[in-house]
Amino acid sequence: MRYILRSSIAALAALLACSQSSGAEAPCTSASPECAVVGRWEISASFGLGTRTNPIEGKSDLPLVVIPRISYYGKRFFLENLDLGFTLHEGVANTFNLIATPGYDRAFFFSSDLQNIFVPGGASFGAGTVTVPAADRVFEVSPRHTTYLAGPEWTFSYGPVTGQLDALREITGQHDGYEVRAALAAPLLEGARGSLVASAGLTWKSEEVVRYYYGVKQLYEPGSAVNPFVRLRYTRPLSDRWTLNAFAHYERLANAIARSPVVTDDHVSTVFAGVAFRVH
Amino acid sequence: MWPSVFTERVVKHGWRVALAALVLLVNAQSSAATQDVPQGIELDLSPRVCTLSASAENCDTTVTAQWRAAQDESLCLLIVGQPQVRQCWENHSAGVYTVRLVFNRDLLVELRDLQLQQVLASETIAVIREALRLRRKRRQPWDILP
Repeated sequence: MRYILRSSIAALAALLACSQSSGAEAPCTSASPECAVVGRWEISASFGLGTRTNPIEGKSDLPLVVIPRISYYGKRFFLENLDLGFTLHEGVANTFNLIATPGYDRAFFFSSDLQNIFVPGGASFGAGTVTVPAADRVFEVSPRHTTYLAGPEWTFSYGPVTGQLDALREITGQHDGYEVRAALAAPLLEGARGSLVASAGLTWKSEEVVRYYYGVKQLYEPGSAVNPFVRLRYTRPLSDRWTLNAFAHYERLANAIARSPVVTDDHVSTVFAGVAFRVH
Repeated sequence: MWPSVFTERVVKHGWRVALAALVLLVNAQSSAATQDVPQGIELDLSPRVCTLSASAENCDTTVTAQWRAAQDESLCLLIVGQPQVRQCWENHSAGVYTVRLVFNRDLLVELRDLQLQQVLASETIAVIREALRLRRKRRQPWDILP
């Protein structure tokens, strides 16, 4: 954890020094996909076809058909779906927030998880048992509860590149674990024919997080994990309210997760194509 | 000698004469036009102003237009940008028209002659937007949602 934090702080300092000089973005002059009207709710929904693979043993993939999106920006407070935040500093290139965000792993286990309102589907795999054929034994699997993590967030822009770094700690008293979420995004195409944005990043999960979701007592007690991901997103405005939207996301699961007896795959793939309608 | 002095004065003061003639001509045309337009037609609108809050995109309100004239007139009421609205009166000295409208910019209400050629009176309902405060949305390269 200390190594990760030190590395993160060093990387932050280097990026901050760079982004101070050339990260300026155009100021907001009207409501747009990048700029929000303070005090106004934004509600939209994407309709289309897609799927998110489920790496959990015996569980089916998660269908993506309707994906709602809701956001609200106050003077400093903001809400983006299930993420809550408070902006400490908002500059032209750098923004510092305090955020609270759910632990996303639970969505693979419970169809009733709140996150599955936004990524519908899900499977039921809470408390129960897992059979390990090689060991010919049945092991008890602890229940997994909804968790929230909170911590500081730094987002920045450096020319066309945007970055995000979250350092989070679980605050709902379930496992007291840590997560670091980091990613960069850059537009590959921008113009009248739409926008194609590539992203790459990683999620570091402390051993407490990995054991809570993927560990099996007396059988499998993994350490921390780093899951890298890449993503491509295409959007093309069709009108004031309608937007064409396509998305492909590939996340590689770290060995600590992929080798779990409750996991059968070493990656999670998400694809979706549809249209988004802005309700308000 | 005499013709020479006369010519010089005409050239020297000619521009003043021309300017005076132009002023007279303009005045004459203006008074002629005024005589064609019926005078004393008053148009009142309610509301006079629509104030949009930060969360509202349109004014959705009932507009009442009331007109009076000193004598009987034949005219039509139109609203610029709202082609569905047209109410005409023939040989009336007053009229009231009420319509529910949705609009997001200044609304220009006109009284025109029956041929719709000449504007007899006009008033505007002003749309005033509450000053919008904007802020940059959160950058989210790390986002699992489409």
